[in-house]
Amino acid sequence: MLALIILLPVLGAALPLWLQRRGRNACAWGTALVVTLSMILLLGLAPAVFAGRLVQWGLPWIPALGLNASLRLDGLGLLFGLLITGIGLLVVLYARYYLAAHDNLARLYALLLLFMGAMLGIILADNVLLLLLFWELTSLCSFLLVGYWHERGDARRGARLALILTAGGGLALLAGLLWLGQVAGSFELSTVLLRGDVVRSDPAYLGILLLILLGVCTKSAQFPFHFWLPQAMAAPTPVSAYLHSATMVKAGVFLLARLFPVLAGTEAWFSLVGGVGLFTLLFAAYMALFQHDLKGLLAYSTISHLGLITLLLGIGTPLAAVAGVFHIINHATFKASLFMAAGIIEHESGCRDMRQLNGLFKYMPQTALLAMVAAAAMAGVPLLNGFLSKEMFFAETVHLARLGEISLLFPMLATVAGVFSVAYSARFIHDVFFNGEPINLPRLPHEPPRYLRVPVEILVALCLLVGMLPSYTVGPLLAVAASSVVGTALPPYSLAIWHGFNLPLLMSTLALFGGVLVYSQRAILFRLHERYPPPVGQLLFAAGLNRLLDGARWLTGWLENGALQRYLALLVLAALLAGLVGLWPTGLPATVHPGPALNLLDLVFGLLLALMALLTVRWHERRLLALLAAGGAGLVVVLAFVRFSAPDLALTQLTVEVVTTVLLLLALRFLPLEMRQNALHRPWRDMLLALAAGLGVAALAWGVLNTAPQPALADYFLTHSLPGGGGTNVVNVILVDFRGFDTLGETTVLVVAALGIAALLAGGLPQPVAPAVVSLPRALLLQIGVRPLLALTLLMAVYLFLRGHNLPGGGFVAGLVAALALVTQYLADDFRAVTVRLTLHYPRYMAAGLLLIAITGALSMVLGYPFLTSTFVHVQLPLLGDFELASAMAFDLGVFLVVIATVLAILLGLGDPGREAV
Amino acid sequence: MNFVAPDFMPVLPELFVLTMTCLVLVVDVFLEQRQRHITYGLAQLTLLGAALLTLFTYAHAPVTTMFGHYVKDAMGDLLKLCIYLASAAVFLYSRDYLRRRDLFKGEYYVLGLFGVLGMMIMVSAHSLLSVYLGLEMLSLSLYALVAIDRDSPVASEAAMKYFVLGSLASGMLLYGISMVYGATGSIDIQLLADAVAKQGLGNPVLVFGLVFLVVGLSFKLGAVPFHMWVPDVYQGAPTSVTLYIGSAPKLAAFALVMRILVDGLGTLQADWQQMLIILAMLSMMLGNLVAIAQSNIKRMLAYSTISHVGFLLLGILAGTPEGYAAAMFYTIVYVLMAVGAFGVLLVLSRTGFEAENIDDFKGLNDRNPWLAFLMMVIMMSMAGVPFMVGFYAKWMVLQSIVDIGLVWLAILGVLFSVIGAFYYLRVVKCLYFDKPEDNTPIEMSRDTEVVISANGLLLVVLGLYPTALMSLCSTALLG
Repeated sequence: MLALIILLPVLGAALPLWLQRRGRNACAWGTALVVTLSMILLLGLAPAVFAGRLVQWGLPWIPALGLNASLRLDGLGLLFGLLITGIGLLVVLYARYYLAAHDNLARLYALLLLFMGAMLGIILADNVLLLLLFWELTSLCSFLLVGYWHERGDARRGARLALILTAGGGLALLAGLLWLGQVAGSFELSTVLLRGDVVRSDPAYLGILLLILLGVCTKSAQFPFHFWLPQAMAAPTPVSAYLHSATMVKAGVFLLARLFPVLAGTEAWFSLVGGVGLFTLLFAAYMALFQHDLKGLLAYSTISHLGLITLLLGIGTPLAAVAGVFHIINHATFKASLFMAAGIIEHESGCRDMRQLNGLFKYMPQTALLAMVAAAAMAGVPLLNGFLSKEMFFAETVHLARLGEISLLFPMLATVAGVFSVAYSARFIHDVFFNGEPINLPRLPHEPPRYLRVPVEILVALCLLVGMLPSYTVGPLLAVAASSVVGTALPPYSLAIWHGFNLPLLMSTLALFGGVLVYSQRAILFRLHERYPPPVGQLLFAAGLNRLLDGARWLTGWLENGALQRYLALLVLAALLAGLVGLWPTGLPATVHPGPALNLLDLVFGLLLALMALLTVRWHERRLLALLAAGGAGLVVVLAFVRFSAPDLALTQLTVEVVTTVLLLLALRFLPLEMRQNALHRPWRDMLLALAAGLGVAALAWGVLNTAPQPALADYFLTHSLPGGGGTNVVNVILVDFRGFDTLGETTVLVVAALGIAALLAGGLPQPVAPAVVSLPRALLLQIGVRPLLALTLLMAVYLFLRGHNLPGGGFVAGLVAALALVTQYLADDFRAVTVRLTLHYPRYMAAGLLLIAITGALSMVLGYPFLTSTFVHVQLPLLGDFELASAMAFDLGVFLVVIATVLAILLGLGDPGREAV
Repeated sequence: MNFVAPDFMPVLPELFVLTMTCLVLVVDVFLEQRQRHITYGLAQLTLLGAALLTLFTYAHAPVTTMFGHYVKDAMGDLLKLCIYLASAAVFLYSRDYLRRRDLFKGEYYVLGLFGVLGMMIMVSAHSLLSVYLGLEMLSLSLYALVAIDRDSPVASEAAMKYFVLGSLASGMLLYGISMVYGATGSIDIQLLADAVAKQGLGNPVLVFGLVFLVVGLSFKLGAVPFHMWVPDVYQGAPTSVTLYIGSAPKLAAFALVMRILVDGLGTLQADWQQMLIILAMLSMMLGNLVAIAQSNIKRMLAYSTISHVGFLLLGILAGTPEGYAAAMFYTIVYVLMAVGAFGVLLVLSRTGFEAENIDDFKGLNDRNPWLAFLMMVIMMSMAGVPFMVGFYAKWMVLQSIVDIGLVWLAILGVLFSVIGAFYYLRVVKCLYFDKPEDNTPIEMSRDTEVVISANGLLLVVLGLYPTALMSLCSTALLG
């Protein structure tokens, strides 16, 4: 039943869209039907609520988040529900005649229904998180409704501003409610409402209150978030009347009332809620007087009245709460009728500016009469509903003795607010309906169509009825609503019009006369206002937004300038900082296991290496020199390997270094000779950064060297190398035996890479800038020299290959050395000439190498051992003596072949582009 | 050495994808350009097959194999299924775009599949070695994919930057791995966790290892201050590649963080929590702030990614099972949204016209109301508007950090998501409130239309009923 009340309008939103083709009346009837059904359902539950029962309904929805679809209907909910559906019904009727023929009525109705569903969701939700969902949904609907005339710039701006503020506040509210739920132990209002003591005494109370208040203040347009409401007046008037006076902006105060039993009653509540309310009440009442826009005046007046309700709830006494609830009802009726009247005036005259709208009484006496009664209610004239709640408010301020000596301030400020409220009401009446003749109106106004005025008539009648017979009309509803706010039995109060001569009556009288006086002297005030305009929220907001945008652009330009150098510098800097932070608490590790002692030679090596690296960078504009320096750095590394007794590594490093340098030299020919000069300051910045990073890494290395080593893997290999793999050169044994499978994979990768590079190079390179080989005469010596060298180097390769299993060497190194021998031939001689003589088909060698490796491995499988198991025998060779022949040697041969072929394939591709390399 | 064949059953999906990818690679060589759809079909078939294999062998209890380098567990399987799904959508959305640009080549799909394989390995890695292997497999595919349009200087520049920065970051990650190995003597995640639990943080080498690991991971995730590559690559790459980079790899990156930081170094949570707080804070701040100033939507989405990463990190740094589940939920949801957003972008692009500015969305509602609606849903979900699934994602991570008492961080997150909402809504405003500048009809093939609709509607459906996915995430992490 409860769920249906919400679902009806939400699902019914499709109805007007569907009925669109049958005309505007069908649309309106359909919408009205949905609203009426929802209202009837609500009324059906009313007896239970009046009997003091709490109607509940629930379903688990997302238990992981504590979000359940649980609903409740109590007095407060009933009151709001009737307001929402009742005024909703009137707005449906009003909108039918208000919108122009070319406006899409169905869209407005659909959105209004959706909004109504969301609003009903807020008031019926038992789960606070569910409440929040509906809360945000109303913000969204408001966004779409304010932006209804989206071709208008002010509508778009207003819509966006409203959404940002209300939805953003809603997110703060989410945080607050999550926190509240955590403290209270549940997200269900039924439970939360009983845990008031727990929540109020929790240290998180202030935070929760602030966050929730942020949501409330944005939604109910309280200072300093009030400025979206005047901007939202760009919406069609039915929307302003419905959302921005009667319902949506009340959601904030509704939530305050809802959580009243949980949060109210503390000093913080009083000063925060009461303070915000009081200031908003005064400020907005003052501002309202100076608006020239009819709806702008009403918007500020709405803000002011919301401030009044907030203040009443903030006072925190049960009586004040009753007054607050009462004022919610009264404000909804008179303000909605005023908005509708303003809409009629705009509709008929095409203008909303009070400087042009004058003397309309002549043209539309009936509307004028209605508007005047409603405005009088707003001003708090006796016999109208506004008077009653205002009187209660004055009485509350009189009895407020919380602030000791300065308690007197409250009634005084309340009276001042009353004065301004009367003044702007007077302006509304006098400026529009009297005060001379209309000035330059787009069209001559006359009475509106009958049905456009009916909703206003109904509302004004309500104002009068409530004003004169409060106890018979609104009494029971107010009682049941107020009691669900207060949570306990209500204190005695009287709704009578006449309480005898007392202070509140005096204040009312003062306010009435004062207001008229202020209005009559308005010229002075207007001049004052023009000379010292108060800072306007939306301007500050816009300025802040612009500042934010500028900041964002600046940040983009600074961080993301598109230069890789900048990114690299930032990356290194960030890593460095992260490292420093990591180092901070512990410092460098103490020396647990002293590393190798430092001697002079090491220092020289280190400095040399640093120098070479520096030169590489320094000379980077002259690429050849840079390459040489890089090669130099590589050679120092070779020396370092020798120094630390790693001959195998040194050998490999040496050959790799030479081959890569040659390949790079060949590649350099394709790069342009010219280099762009760098900005002056950057080298120093980069140098500093590099130095810091280098020191960091050095410190790290030092730290690692000084910690106790793990039981090293090396021991395992050292002990098992000879018995398991039949070789004493552990590095080689690992490569061809222990990790034979890996080597097979790597070799395959090498082949694939070589084929890929060759294919790419064959695809065409730009014309080289320099020739591959120096011209013949000067290289004559070299040419003659390399011929005998070829044989020697090849022999060396064979030697390295054969002894590889036990002594430094092996297939990889041997392959590189052999490749180098051949490379030298190409370099010294003309490329094509050598190609003719050396008719090697490299891919074939690669294939052969790979096959050899695979066959060696597979052979062991044939013999019943796992793949790649190796074995070895000792044979006596004539010249060389005892020679160990391991099956791994065949494996190594495969590696040897692949390496030679790979290097040469790449080299040929680079040296002789365009040639069919594969 | 003796070689005992490992149990190949758990790695069946990986083996299948590997085999199929090689098959696609070879088959593609023999195809003519007009038969290229066969490559596409085979690629989709591969993903389908892998999905079925994963589904049928869905792990309820973790199984390790490949000598402890690989683990098959529910988290991995769930993420893998999402990866297949996201990649399948990516392949589909990209098809027409690539075809119109003469980029409809086998390479896109082969590299894409290799990337998927890399992601699968990352997701199921149980040692630092396999983590790294998977990561590099993915990264190398991505570098090449960015440069797939060889004639575009912007794309080449982006690829170059991505490669150089990515290599540096990989190097740092590897450095971190080697230091962690040096401190603990193990690369197996489980043994690593045991060793770390035993020795605690007394070892500074471990601290440094942790620092470098976090640096490497942040780079891969694109968290500030290691985010520099993200905007340039997102903008420079062809949109179909941006779509690929922006979707499934995020899932893999999440898995990467989970495997290394949570499974491996979980006992150091107090330490990496501090670092992640800084990263998350900076990411949310910079991502959201800078996104406002962008007019290029690919770049805007890049910054949006960065901010989403910030949110995702919130869940992880909470260090609770709920937090991890929230982060996982967030990642999956984010990928769903990103795929949709770039998908719409791809649909809007046509021959000779590249949709990449926010202005290109102007008046989409007048040109194609359905597409505009989908885009609105996606943008709202990204902004975290209630009743969209993105809202619950944000909510869950915020809840998880509120639970551990970091309320200030949650408030910061809320604040920046408000700023974030601003730029998403700008797109919505363009969709609905502005007049179209260009009235060319939008061509969309039937299957693209169906899938993109399903993609958008899924956000709404999940928004109404997120419980199923949430419980999947939490059981995957607990079970």
